[in-house]
Amino acid sequence: MKREVRFAEIAVVGGGPAGLCAALEAARAGARVVLLDRQDHLGGQLIKQTHRFFGSKSHRASQRGFKIAEALTREVASHPAVEVHTGATVFGFYEDGVLGVEQKGRVFYLKPARVIVATGAAERTLAFPNNDLPGIYGAGAVQTLVNVYGILPGRRVLMVGAGNIGVIVSYQLLQAGMEVAAIVEAAPVIGAYWVHAAKVRRAGVPIYTSHTIKEAYGKREVEGAVIWQLDGDGKPIPGTEKDLAVDTICLSVGLSPLIELLAQAGCRLAYVPELGGHVPLRDENLQTTVPGVYVAGDAAGVEEASAAMMEGALAGLHAAYSLGYGQQDYEARRAAIREQLEALRSGPVGEKIRRGLSKAIIQL
Amino acid sequence: MLPVDGIPTPEDIMAKMPPPERLARGPVVMVECFQQIPCDPCTHACPRQAILPMKDINEIPRVDYEKCNGCGQCISVCPGLALFVVDLTYSEEEALVKLPYEFLPLPAEGQVVAGLNRAGEEVCPARVVKVVATEKMDKTAVIWLAVPKNMAMEVRHLKVKPRGTTVICRCEDVTLEEIEHLIKVEGVRTLEEIKRLKRCGMGPCQGRTCLPLIAREIYRLCGTEPDSLAWPTYRPPVIPLKLGVLAGGGSDDAQA
Amino acid sequence: MRIEQHPILEFRRGKKVKFIFDGKEYEGYEGETIAAALHAAGIRVMRESPVLHRPRGLFCAIGNCSSCLMTVNGEPNVRICTEKLREGMVVNSQKGKGVLYEKRS
Repeated sequence: MKREVRFAEIAVVGGGPAGLCAALEAARAGARVVLLDRQDHLGGQLIKQTHRFFGSKSHRASQRGFKIAEALTREVASHPAVEVHTGATVFGFYEDGVLGVEQKGRVFYLKPARVIVATGAAERTLAFPNNDLPGIYGAGAVQTLVNVYGILPGRRVLMVGAGNIGVIVSYQLLQAGMEVAAIVEAAPVIGAYWVHAAKVRRAGVPIYTSHTIKEAYGKREVEGAVIWQLDGDGKPIPGTEKDLAVDTICLSVGLSPLIELLAQAGCRLAYVPELGGHVPLRDENLQTTVPGVYVAGDAAGVEEASAAMMEGALAGLHAAYSLGYGQQDYEARRAAIREQLEALRSGPVGEKIRRGLSKAIIQL
Repeated sequence: MLPVDGIPTPEDIMAKMPPPERLARGPVVMVECFQQIPCDPCTHACPRQAILPMKDINEIPRVDYEKCNGCGQCISVCPGLALFVVDLTYSEEEALVKLPYEFLPLPAEGQVVAGLNRAGEEVCPARVVKVVATEKMDKTAVIWLAVPKNMAMEVRHLKVKPRGTTVICRCEDVTLEEIEHLIKVEGVRTLEEIKRLKRCGMGPCQGRTCLPLIAREIYRLCGTEPDSLAWPTYRPPVIPLKLGVLAGGGSDDAQA
Repeated sequence: MRIEQHPILEFRRGKKVKFIFDGKEYEGYEGETIAAALHAAGIRVMRESPVLHRPRGLFCAIGNCSSCLMTVNGEPNVRICTEKLREGMVVNSQKGKGVLYEKRS
């Protein structure tokens, strides 16, 4: 079978916050970029973030996530050096650095000189009886239904997990008109930023730490959930069960980096729990152990979207630089992005990320 | 405790309180940001630079309370919705709390809503003094609430109460809660006042249904016997009549 | 259930289209996914699992988990969380792993 292989300077896989910033940074330096995303729109999961972002005012803080997606998408679309392919799924990373791409039922192959993998992460689930009942969703899934399509999956929800996503999505479900029966968190402390926790709490949502879901029940769909308390060792305490009449359960129990393409490329991976699971080893420029293959965003380790944008920019900048572009202001630009990225990670809430990165970043 | 249930402790709150002498002088910001997170928009939001610049974006915001005039422009900028303005000098009995609000329906100015504390419990009725929602604020409205003075450090959220389902006046759809509020909170004591404030008695039934009910509520809440209560004046027409009928003086059919 | 009013967002919906789900006609909007249109109609059960025959619905909504496979226009195993709704689509609950060329047999 004859296969057409197209050549490209830089391919960016994934058009979320990391991929968009990678494409823009590389294109600004002068490189030609092909940006591929399997959805029919760019922005990745930013499009369903209705809250204002944290971070530095100089870098889009206080803007709502979906507005950042709109702005970045406009910039990418209007940049002549970026060729955007939506509805295009990269399904394989073959030998000699060839990417297999499916777009609208047709397949083509792409051989870029540099690849930036910004595929994001997938929602994790949890093992408990009846955890597959219709009405049990990833928190991100419900966010998509509610904030992208304007559809409520039910009336009353139990949120499992009090990290930033669990608490932010709870707040967004209140805004959309759902009742949030409770947020349960297995850990003894809330993982979310406390200001987020405070704002759902004062809106009347109880947060039960050291609690988890025991089981869901219902005939064909969720009709309720039983939660119970955990002791100091994380073991459930019989007799502490509470029955909640809910028709929806959201699981917000973490994300796993989507690293399949990087594994196929032969990148060395390491299991780093602080970053969400298996992630590629890489250097300070986000280049993996396979020369010319970069990673950025949640695929490199689950973190906030603002950090993903910086990582994307760093990867895009270096990929372009390594092809001979943007030589004159490379150092200054790199220093500026790194400074912003370090500021995001340097505080107490960045401790876990720093610990994870210390295991994932190597000298190449 | 914040990390366990999302509720700041009294000590947490004390540490964020503006100095008493500053509070005594009028509106001032209260920054309920308890954790070092990478975030700095508030430091750029103040037209008087009262929220001090940060060297590191992970710092907790610091305020120059002498510079702050309590304008509240910072409130809608905070991604954590953690900034409030408190004015203890608002009136003899009431304090003013300005807080961020991102829910529908937005309350109306003059409406009485439930004031919620940091645990989401209803602690007092609160009167909406102003609703600020400009384009620049991008859907984070700032609501000015008048609350009893002792609640100024308690009320941090609000709930727009659904109108009750116990209907007193069918013509104007006035509920028992509204009547109770007028009597208990606004100090209303007469049928005449309620008629003018809520139109009870001015609708098609001319008070046939509502006035006895309202009289009973006044008796229940204030002890005023119905016989000592001044009844509003009955004016013609006592039944709904078409204006054309009145003007022509003829029968309905003749006008048609 | 569709959200009519939202404090932050405005939903711009496309053209109204009709589709068939398990033999009954429903309405949805162009531009939304099949999953969204079904949820708007209150339908959350999408298929029956292959071995345990348990009801299954949506889990991730962005094309990762393959929990929501349905038969669309005769073709089984369509991830309806990313497949866009079109006028006249015939959507069926999928039993098990689905059957190709169901119509011919």
